[in-house]
Amino acid sequence: MNIKQLLILFVGAIVLASCSKLEEKYRGGVEAVAEGGVNVADVLQGAYNALNNPFQDQSRFWAASQHTTDETIGPTRGPDWDDNGVWRVLHSHNWDADHLFLRDTYRELLQAQYAASNVLALNPSAQQAAEAKFIRALSMWCILDGWDQVPVRTDLDKVTVLPEVLKGKDAFDFIMKDLTEALPNLPVGSAIKANKDAARALMMKMYLNKGVYAGSRKTPTFDAGDMNQVITLADQILASGYQLDDNYFDAFGPANSSKSKEMIYALENTNGLRGGNNQSRWYCTLHYNQRPSGWNGFTTVAETYDRFEAGDKRLTADYPGVTDVSGLKVGLLQGQQFDQTGAALKDRKGNNLSYTKTVKLKETGNDLEITGIRVVKYAPDYQVEFPAENEYVIFRAADVWLMKAEALLRTGKAAEGLEIVNIIRTKRGATPFASLTLDNLLDERSRELYWEGWRRNDMIRFGKFLGAWTEKPASGDERLLFAIPSEQLAVNPNLSQNPGY
Amino acid sequence: MTPKRLLKAMLLPVVMLFAFQVAVAQNKTVSGKVTDGKDGSPVAGASVAAKGTTTGTSTAADGSFQLSVPANAKVLVVSSVGFGTVEVNITDNMNVVLASSGSNLNEVVVVGYGSARKKDQTGAVAQVKAKDFNKGVLTAADQLIQGKVAGVQVINNSGAPGGGTTVRIRGNSSIRSSNQPLYVVDGVPLDGSNARPGLGNTLGGMPAANPLNFINPNDIASMEILKDASAAAIYGSRGANGVILITTKKGQAGAPKIDFNAGVGVASIMKRFEVMNGDEYRAALTKYGATSGNYGDNVDALGAILQNAITQNYNASVSGGNDAGKYRLSVGLTDQQGIIKESGLKRATASLSGSYKFLDSKKLGLDFNLFTAQSTENIAPISNNAGFQGSLIGHALQWNPTHPLRNADGTPIVIPQFGNTSINPLSMIEAYDDNVATTEVLASVSPYYKFNDNFEYRLLYSVRKGVGVRKNEIKRFLNYQGNLGSASVGTAEQSTQQLTHTLSYNNQITSDINLNAVAGYEYMKYDNLSYGMSGSDFADFPGLSYYNYLQNAPNARRGIGSGAGPITELQSYFARAVINWQDRLVLTGTVRADGSSKFGANNKYGVFPSFALAWNLSNEKFLANSKVVNNLKIRAGWGRTGNQEFPAAASLNRYQINGPNDVTRSNFGNPDLTWEQSDMINVGADFGLFEDRVWGTIDWFQKTSTKVLFEQIVAQPGPPGSAKYWINLPGNIFNTGVEFALNAAIVRGKDFSWNAGVNASFLKNELRDFGNQFFETGALSGQGVSGARVQRLVSGQPLNVFYLRQFEGIDANGQSIYTNDGNKLFYSGNPNPTTLLGITTDLNYKKFSAVINMNGAFGHMIYNETLTDVVPIGNLGTRNIAKSLVADGKTQEAISNAIAPSTRYLESGNYLKLANATLSYNVGNIGKTFRNVNISLTGQNLFVITKFSGFDPEVNVDKQVDGIPSFGIEYSPYPTARTILLGVSFGL
Repeated sequence: MNIKQLLILFVGAIVLASCSKLEEKYRGGVEAVAEGGVNVADVLQGAYNALNNPFQDQSRFWAASQHTTDETIGPTRGPDWDDNGVWRVLHSHNWDADHLFLRDTYRELLQAQYAASNVLALNPSAQQAAEAKFIRALSMWCILDGWDQVPVRTDLDKVTVLPEVLKGKDAFDFIMKDLTEALPNLPVGSAIKANKDAARALMMKMYLNKGVYAGSRKTPTFDAGDMNQVITLADQILASGYQLDDNYFDAFGPANSSKSKEMIYALENTNGLRGGNNQSRWYCTLHYNQRPSGWNGFTTVAETYDRFEAGDKRLTADYPGVTDVSGLKVGLLQGQQFDQTGAALKDRKGNNLSYTKTVKLKETGNDLEITGIRVVKYAPDYQVEFPAENEYVIFRAADVWLMKAEALLRTGKAAEGLEIVNIIRTKRGATPFASLTLDNLLDERSRELYWEGWRRNDMIRFGKFLGAWTEKPASGDERLLFAIPSEQLAVNPNLSQNPGY
Repeated sequence: MTPKRLLKAMLLPVVMLFAFQVAVAQNKTVSGKVTDGKDGSPVAGASVAAKGTTTGTSTAADGSFQLSVPANAKVLVVSSVGFGTVEVNITDNMNVVLASSGSNLNEVVVVGYGSARKKDQTGAVAQVKAKDFNKGVLTAADQLIQGKVAGVQVINNSGAPGGGTTVRIRGNSSIRSSNQPLYVVDGVPLDGSNARPGLGNTLGGMPAANPLNFINPNDIASMEILKDASAAAIYGSRGANGVILITTKKGQAGAPKIDFNAGVGVASIMKRFEVMNGDEYRAALTKYGATSGNYGDNVDALGAILQNAITQNYNASVSGGNDAGKYRLSVGLTDQQGIIKESGLKRATASLSGSYKFLDSKKLGLDFNLFTAQSTENIAPISNNAGFQGSLIGHALQWNPTHPLRNADGTPIVIPQFGNTSINPLSMIEAYDDNVATTEVLASVSPYYKFNDNFEYRLLYSVRKGVGVRKNEIKRFLNYQGNLGSASVGTAEQSTQQLTHTLSYNNQITSDINLNAVAGYEYMKYDNLSYGMSGSDFADFPGLSYYNYLQNAPNARRGIGSGAGPITELQSYFARAVINWQDRLVLTGTVRADGSSKFGANNKYGVFPSFALAWNLSNEKFLANSKVVNNLKIRAGWGRTGNQEFPAAASLNRYQINGPNDVTRSNFGNPDLTWEQSDMINVGADFGLFEDRVWGTIDWFQKTSTKVLFEQIVAQPGPPGSAKYWINLPGNIFNTGVEFALNAAIVRGKDFSWNAGVNASFLKNELRDFGNQFFETGALSGQGVSGARVQRLVSGQPLNVFYLRQFEGIDANGQSIYTNDGNKLFYSGNPNPTTLLGITTDLNYKKFSAVINMNGAFGHMIYNETLTDVVPIGNLGTRNIAKSLVADGKTQEAISNAIAPSTRYLESGNYLKLANATLSYNVGNIGKTFRNVNISLTGQNLFVITKFSGFDPEVNVDKQVDGIPSFGIEYSPYPTARTILLGVSFGL
């Protein structure tokens, strides 16, 4: 064999072997180019699920909406809960553009927006499109509320095409358009899916806060037309027959989706299927020596506790299936805690587990495990403690009533508003008001909706967010918005840092 | 060829081979001794055979041999691993001198896709041979060369048997993708993974195992480390982190021989993390005026989970052959207990290699290899990122030393009086079970045809298959938050196929010019998949493991999942030419074109060239007769290599399937995605002085990595499945350094010899032109530090620079003081060593020899997370604290002082470790049966000199964030073992 033949042989061998075109072949996933490769319903469910973490985790939008207010504090307890200061800076209004949890909240809410937009790009049915638009509106509304700058991605395939950024009125209009278009095609019924009343409730939040978003965050004004929209929407929702629950805590306890008559929209938690981190609501607050054993973290502060009068059923209560099992009560836990036999619990240092009203951002004393009033709104289910199956409530009827009352008050119809508020107060075991003012309405919203993730939104609207309270001095105007996370500023030049950061 | 047929094809020649052993009549006896040309020491185990016959023997411990050869035999062929081959005329009482690697320039060494004469080497290549390997209990190949090669850092990430290593050749050059070198076993490139399924449970993510565990270190003859790009460029898009070529032992011509070695060792903890004992704890309680926390006892919780671990190690091989065929069959058994109770690794390996020549002309040949390994690991519950609930080592360190560990009946206490969230490490061991059975097979067959003496065609076909099954359970009784009893079974399967054609040409073209050239084509295919199931809320049945009755878990608490990545294909064309002019100038040029299915549609093929020139000054007139310099070669080279370690399908838009009726977009594709590119310049010299009594190498290099592979943050909104997408970053990573190796034969005597070697490297590493963006990594995870990250990737700083609060001391109230009240973080330390050091020395006196290996790393910092959040002062009164916290003369730190990551926990990582010391005695032959009996005593990790307060400064706990690797963080890892091993070896 000569060299020539040899080379021919060699090249031949290579050509024979070189059949590979080096194309990637999928097995465990689906390439996104092929229309029809995925089922729209599946992608829609994926979009619903994208809401779970940003809403249900204790360190996401809930933390942004609660820790920054006079309802919630995350004290550093000696060796525990320093977490690089993330909780302290939220409460004391010292967060910056690098805040880990604010950054992740911003990202995850926008990812939910993407997931919803993705549904719209897949030729959905009218109802699927309506559900997707509701999900998109809800996630975008959170961004508008927290950061004012809402990036919107129109090209879902090319990462290099940068999202445009909508601000204030433009963002408001975009979201309202989605909701308006969605409304006729949304279903009625199940509270764990997007529905007509859920869209209306979100529209109410939008109109009620329009002066904040489209006007001035510091000194919002309230247009009568917007307020009338709130009232109209409330009436449409309430026409569906919602009722205040006899047991206030049924809206949150185990099996709340079947027990509660207030639920308008909630995130579904079903083990083996889907769910979020709702159990963090009790873990984050309960002491290690309680049952369930918690993380001994967040508490409320005196301002919130002191708003309640004795006898208010919302303050604290025994809850069937919980208190009889472990001694744990629901509501605001103040003072000595007991087990189911009535024996007093102790902390890990041997102190009585007796929660104090006073709490500091940095606890350094021997009582550092017991300071602060704990808050258990979601009663744990001892059958399925982890992961929890309580649905996570976003909109419920009591809020709708209170928003309606507020719109009435802000349009000079205080008497009508008072009537609504007193119906609620009476049902909750509190003394009816003689008159309705902005101040006592804001307080009533806290008594009714504490730890449900509305406090920051309410305090800004009522002009109280920059004031001083426990472990928080008065803060600067910039705190009305969160800082745009530096992670996103670095990759999207269409964003600009919010003033003051 | 199917694997089955392949197996048949490989077994057949072995069967044939035994038929070749024909009796020979008309013999004469020759005897003599084989010595090392370097120092005159005897060479044991050298192969001695009469040329052209099948008769052979090997030398005894004192180098002597006696061989019956045909009366007409004239020439003996003598060779040994680590030396070249010589042919000598048969005389009476022969003294055969073998030249060792320090000076034998005609020796042939393995390079990528072929071999080359050592004198033709132009790149920075280091070779370590079996006789120089580290000894002791070593489960993976990379541990054999720890501290042996300048510029190569090998870190045992933890002390777990079979645990992973971090190998860095000339520093980190990649920020997101793997920095591990490419391993090539007898021409078969490995993909750096193994079939051991990963595990994440309530404890966190478990550390990875070493992917090289399937190769028995006893089967390895030598390892070549291709450090610079001019040497590694032949591996193209996989060569950027350097290449380690592993050459396994082969049979040698001669009568069949059996080699056997056995070792029994005992291991215990090398260095403890100092926490208080019961009395010290009581004293501290008194000092702090604490009223609770004393439960009267005095226990050592860490000691309670440790054991004196026994290791047994047996290896046997049969080898032999003749000119026409050689074979080696080897089996190995390792049973290594971990120093933590119930943990350990059992491994059985078997390998078979053969080399056969066919036809009268002997032009057709066949080489083959088969490696099989089966291992069973029992893994201790120690995770990389345990949260506030901690993992085993954390619990042992935290256990209140005044509180008993056991009830009166001897059973471990489950819930201690000092808190129901504290976990008894003994209960944890009892409640936890995590075991992996891995089976791996690597088979290669390589037929070749020599057209003439100069021209050869070779085919290499290899198949690698690995299957791992991992079972895990946490018993219900363990007091973990939310624990209902959980279990999982996970399986991973891996398949790799390779087809390589090479055509090589090697000829002295003119009297002045020698040409060594190779051209080839290679195709590789990787196929990885995994599946698993899990459940929780089990009923207990005595003696049964949950993972054996997963169906007991209620429906809502079951999980199943499976996944298969796209099959990855790599297709390459490559060529190399080495031109030697008068043994004075050597020029090497290589080029490789790599195409990968992973690359984006717009960038399917990459080209990786290299050039290098060497000038052999000692062959020039002015040095030819030098009494001082007997060898001096200077080398300069440039090359381009790549790194393509990003996941398959990263270049494409896609959906992932999450659960029932739940699909989300998982990724933004990048059709431009391509390999990361490293350009390296290397200038170096090899020298031998004073008749090779002093020899070594020195190299300077500069490596710039561009088109750095990275997962860029998506400008949101983006797909929920991933907040990042793969790009080639505009920034670059800059590594530069100087490294040298210096060896000396200090004493060369007949009875006594002494050699010493030192290697050192000085490295600098920086990330440049990265813009304003930074990425965080180094996620702390213990109590009070959730979400805290301590490292960054940022322009103008070393990779993984620490970014921390600046600690200034303790104030009068016992609280920490930080610069700017801790509201500002600072770039505060480099985790990358600036100096690596390896020291080795051997002493030989008559039949005794001693070898000592030390290694060290300097100039870097380690973050001690264990001290930050496992044993902080705040534990006093409930759980244990670090001993160093309550020392006389220290400002008293308040119990309430917050845990906060800061420079307080940044410690110097400098260390020098006596990694390995072996004392051996050559008994020689015992009777006619036992040849070369050798007894040795090896101590591993005998001591470490360091100021680091953790278990071992040689540590790298994986604290990655979203795939961005961390480096240099300690977090309650599996402690390092100190091992004493008694070994015996002999031949039959």
